[in-house]
Amino acid sequence: MKNLLTALTLGCLALMAGTGTLQSRELPKSALQNYVPWKEDTVHTFENLLVQHEGRVKPLYTVARFTLMQFLGRSAVSFETKDGEQHKLHYAAWFLDVLFRGEIAKDMPVFIVDDSAAVVQIGVSPKAKRDRYSYNELLAGRAKLAELGAQYAEKQDQYEKSEKDPQYELDRIEGMILTLGRNVSSFEYLLGQFGFARKGELLVNGNILPPELTELAKRLDTVEMIDKMPEMTLDQLVQTIRQQPGETEEERMFSGALRLFFFHANSARGLNFFPPQDPEKEEWTSAGDLMLAGLESKEMRPWVKTQLAGVQGLVNAKNEGEEAFHAALRSYSDAQHATAEARGEGTHSELEIHLYRGKWFSNSLVFFILAFVVMAFSWLTPASKTGKRLLFAAGVLAFIGLALNIYGITLRCLIRERPPITNLYDTVIFITGTAVLLGLILEYYTRLGVGTLVAVVSGVLGMFLSIKYEAKEATDTMGQLVAVLDTNFWLATHVTIINIGYAAALVAALIGLVYLTGRFAALFHKRENPDFYKLLTRMNYGIICFCLFFSLVGTVLGGIWANYSWGRFWGWDPKENGALMICLWTLVVLHGRFAGWIREIGIHTNSLILAIITTFSWWGVNNLGVGLHSYGFTEGVWGALYFSWGILAIFLAMGVVLWLKERGERTTRRSGAPSGKEVPA
Amino acid sequence: MASSSPSPDWSPRQWPRIFFRFFTSFKLATVVLIFMTLVTLLGTLGQVEHGLHAAKEKYFHSFWFFDKIFGIPVLLPGGLLLMILLFTNMTLGAIVKVKKRWKGVGMLISHIGMLMLLAGGFVTWAFSTDGYMALYSGMSSNRVESYREWQLEIVPLSKEGVAEKAWIYPAGYLETMMPDEQRVIHAESLPFDVVINGYAKNATPIPTAAPMAAGVTGKEIDGFKLSPQKPSKEAEQNLPGCFIEIRPRDGGAPIEAILWAGSYRFDPRENPMPFTFTVGDQLYGALLVKKSWTVPFTVRLDEFIFERHPGVSMARNYESRVTRFEEGQPEKPLEIKMNEPMRHAGYTFFQESFGPSGAQPGDDMFSQFAVANNPADQWPLYSLIVTGVGLGVHFLIMLVQFTTRSRKRFQSNPAST
Amino acid sequence: MTRPPVLSVSLPLALLLVSCGGEDTPGLYERSLSPSEKNFRLVESSMDRFRYSTKASEETTTESGGAAAAALVYDTPAGWTEKPGSLMRDLNFTFGPNGEGECYIARLPGAGGGLAANVNRWRSQMGASALTEEEVAALPTRPLFGQPARFVSVDGTFSPGMGSDQTFPNHRLMGLILASDAGAVFVKMTGPKDLVDQNSAAFDQFVSSLDVNTGGSGSGSN
Repeated sequence: MKNLLTALTLGCLALMAGTGTLQSRELPKSALQNYVPWKEDTVHTFENLLVQHEGRVKPLYTVARFTLMQFLGRSAVSFETKDGEQHKLHYAAWFLDVLFRGEIAKDMPVFIVDDSAAVVQIGVSPKAKRDRYSYNELLAGRAKLAELGAQYAEKQDQYEKSEKDPQYELDRIEGMILTLGRNVSSFEYLLGQFGFARKGELLVNGNILPPELTELAKRLDTVEMIDKMPEMTLDQLVQTIRQQPGETEEERMFSGALRLFFFHANSARGLNFFPPQDPEKEEWTSAGDLMLAGLESKEMRPWVKTQLAGVQGLVNAKNEGEEAFHAALRSYSDAQHATAEARGEGTHSELEIHLYRGKWFSNSLVFFILAFVVMAFSWLTPASKTGKRLLFAAGVLAFIGLALNIYGITLRCLIRERPPITNLYDTVIFITGTAVLLGLILEYYTRLGVGTLVAVVSGVLGMFLSIKYEAKEATDTMGQLVAVLDTNFWLATHVTIINIGYAAALVAALIGLVYLTGRFAALFHKRENPDFYKLLTRMNYGIICFCLFFSLVGTVLGGIWANYSWGRFWGWDPKENGALMICLWTLVVLHGRFAGWIREIGIHTNSLILAIITTFSWWGVNNLGVGLHSYGFTEGVWGALYFSWGILAIFLAMGVVLWLKERGERTTRRSGAPSGKEVPA
Repeated sequence: MASSSPSPDWSPRQWPRIFFRFFTSFKLATVVLIFMTLVTLLGTLGQVEHGLHAAKEKYFHSFWFFDKIFGIPVLLPGGLLLMILLFTNMTLGAIVKVKKRWKGVGMLISHIGMLMLLAGGFVTWAFSTDGYMALYSGMSSNRVESYREWQLEIVPLSKEGVAEKAWIYPAGYLETMMPDEQRVIHAESLPFDVVINGYAKNATPIPTAAPMAAGVTGKEIDGFKLSPQKPSKEAEQNLPGCFIEIRPRDGGAPIEAILWAGSYRFDPRENPMPFTFTVGDQLYGALLVKKSWTVPFTVRLDEFIFERHPGVSMARNYESRVTRFEEGQPEKPLEIKMNEPMRHAGYTFFQESFGPSGAQPGDDMFSQFAVANNPADQWPLYSLIVTGVGLGVHFLIMLVQFTTRSRKRFQSNPAST
Repeated sequence: MTRPPVLSVSLPLALLLVSCGGEDTPGLYERSLSPSEKNFRLVESSMDRFRYSTKASEETTTESGGAAAAALVYDTPAGWTEKPGSLMRDLNFTFGPNGEGECYIARLPGAGGGLAANVNRWRSQMGASALTEEEVAALPTRPLFGQPARFVSVDGTFSPGMGSDQTFPNHRLMGLILASDAGAVFVKMTGPKDLVDQNSAAFDQFVSSLDVNTGGSGSGSN
């Protein structure tokens, strides 16, 4: 339905374009020069408004957050005003401007373009190689952007349909143009959300309207107009607009009003602010949907009008000054929350804002980095009392980082009423937390400093990855689940357990890295402490056993789930195979050890192979199949995977060197001593 | 992989011993596990190229296979062979030979669990069947169709298109046919022989007038040619086709036709469209149909409930209300939904999917059940419990040892690092 | 405990033996059909059996209701010959040297199966791929009886269906579809590509001359 509507609109706009002019208006460059920021309170009230988005009722803050991330790839829009003051607008404040001060928002540089070649192609004068553009700066290329965007979208579509035929694959610049086109178009929809409530102030495509309609728009109250219209469906409305207006002034007025009504209704789609009138219905509606519903049935009109008048009230109050605006927002928000609460929705919105505003995950990264720095200092005087204290302090800092991570995960569980892991993003923060915890537990038992090192390194890498991933995906990480996954029991058991297994495998690899680095460095220093390395080996062996336990139980549980859900225990599906390979390789390590083929060095080098397998099944297999993820993501993931595997391969080579050396020593030593299999404890 | 015994004695009397030692060795276990990891990896990557079904057959359900690794063709052991080796190795090494000590009890238990898992996998592979049943509400059936297997069916038809019985050329035979192979099949009770040739696992008929038909070799019949296609990665989507020739045994003129699986049905409401011909006074139909079998009860779909997440097309939940009919039993109303299958008489009905594809909200939809008959259905669960207990016991023993020892070591040697 | 491996070796072997039948295989076996298997759909031609013209054959069954035919008023373009109408065709013309070009008007009560279905039925007759709802909605419009009708123009191999197996390569189909709840009107012109191209002006003239004779005053011409 929505696609149909879009197609109709495009046709309709094209019709209007016949009489209008397509030239872009010269805008004063000064919209940002006199920028006055919103008061904190206003922003807070605003961000707690509710929206139903991607199937879930959530605070506007979340929508603002991921929208800006998608456009800009970062958390704040920055610009300078006339008085030289630097402004940094965060998600909600920016979104408030988009919805209520669109004219200013159009000048804010919110669209990141990674390569200026992309803007050159749409005929916009480029800035730096990688730079941010405002809507107004891109306006000159708007038509070209739409044209190329549609073309590339079709190509992309064919790429998916043809099971990834390379001839349809988008190149980098094409991908950027496609993304930019989508972003600009979403921005336009946002600008148009409350267009119906702003008399005559047409923020998007205003210049497309013929002059007489622009005049008409200033006089017309769209909300009042609903009452005066005959009942008609969307199709009828479109048909009527398509017909040539009659000769009389009255007929022309009517036709013009209809066009404007359609124009506003169509621009105000996408953000579903309004809980439905019928409490049984689940779908919230946008202002545009409301307008069309009102048009179709007279019965709906009184309710539709109150809803729309609410928004109109907000817009009017904004014009009266911030005090009045804040008060109006407040009461609107209260009413909206009351309605939602009666429906059992939006109850966790405060918690959700708390999650994002609290920045638990980025703060946890900060603590891990601090811990790392402190720990690095402890290496200066490892044996001294200060060294021990610093190490302890690093451990405490890492523990705080872990606590923040766990707090964030807990909030996410509470908001969704789900176990910790439901999607790939969840796995990143969860595996990080688990790895840190494992490291700290190891430290508690061994007090070698290695546990802390493992904890801190996994904390830093993992939290960094989670932040990068979130920014790259730029969609709500608490989305809805497909039907098969809608089971808290299996999510809590299979998914959680198998991810603990992943975490253990990565911890094992980190220990392996420490071991190999130490031993390799000792080749040149001749200072070795065999006990230390023996203990490391025992540690790593323990972790690999731990990994086996969780991977094996997790994998088999996954099979049992599959058997309950769709009747087969094992289907050799890539994700299953990934988990199986982890199990198999831990078994290789254990049995190889009993066979006498794997000793100290063997355990550590094999833990690196285990990590390669783990990262492959964690990230790689998701990107083997047909198009679940967009081009950019896939490309990035494989790059990162190959990079990390390259690094691990270097360490593997170090392990091989150590092993060869040790073997050489052993054969020279062996002449006297009887060779027996090393019987492990 | 030879035994590491210091003085190898290869005399025939020692053979059973050598044999036993080989099959019980950790070295064999390690080698098999390494190969299994490798084969799993290749089989995973192979799915990108071949699709799931073909990759499964090649890598996992095989004794050996050829694959190119960095451009060099290598003969590798297949999953089936590896699992047989592993099973033997585990049975002899971890159960028969192992010293029964309290410290090893965890390992013993978990190996038994793993044996159960492998045995279950084998029983599933060898004896289970799986298929599907698709129903619109109001429809009922006791017939399960195969996902991939097609058979040739000859039916004597009434004028209204109704047949009481059928002559069937089974899928197991049909699918072994090579494209250039010709087979003459007959039944004494039919007045004609049937010749099949040009069988293609995936094919599409093309009207001779269409430009694409120019490149298609082979016979033209009734304005069509049969164009063999590359088998799809999704083996379920293959639509086979073939040529048949009906040779009346009374010496009448032979009748030729193209048969194509697409004439069967894409939707449970459709009736299959056979190629029709007359021999003697009897109207016959010939067509390719899905292999099917019956379950000992009938299922009627009463209602299919389909919910989407509000405002998006993603399915949130779908479930089916059904009634089960069985001779000598009262009617039983039931619900089949995601994660809650119906188990009865050895068969399990899972809520699998729905259709038709592209259905809009409000359209009439059918519900599709996966129907599995697996004697080893619950074995993985039992095996998991056994293995989990075993590993848990072992892990606890190890943990206690590790912590007590490393504490001791740390205390006795504080100047480590 | 070693039985499964033995079994697993013998089973594929057995399968192998079974499937290696000779060239002449007496392989047909007989069984009775269960109720869900008994019914077949009898179709005339391979066209139907291979799903090239199912839409057309369905239409023949639904169409016979006939429209409440109000008389049509129109100008016959130069070079066009009017042929008698039929149950499905209100007006029927041929043109071209041998009358290989054809143009007719059909009216159906109801929406006639919807716009997209009809557009795609036409496209399939020309061997062209189906359009999506959006693509159909984006088709250009031209006035027909004062209302915006969708304009379709497709080149390809024309297979008229309707019981005929004949196909005509290098043809063009040009037509208008006006689908509303009140009823659907089709104006369809087909013929060799060049011929249709030459007659496109005549087509426009014909379409714009079309009107419904409401029985009262005004509308003249033959």
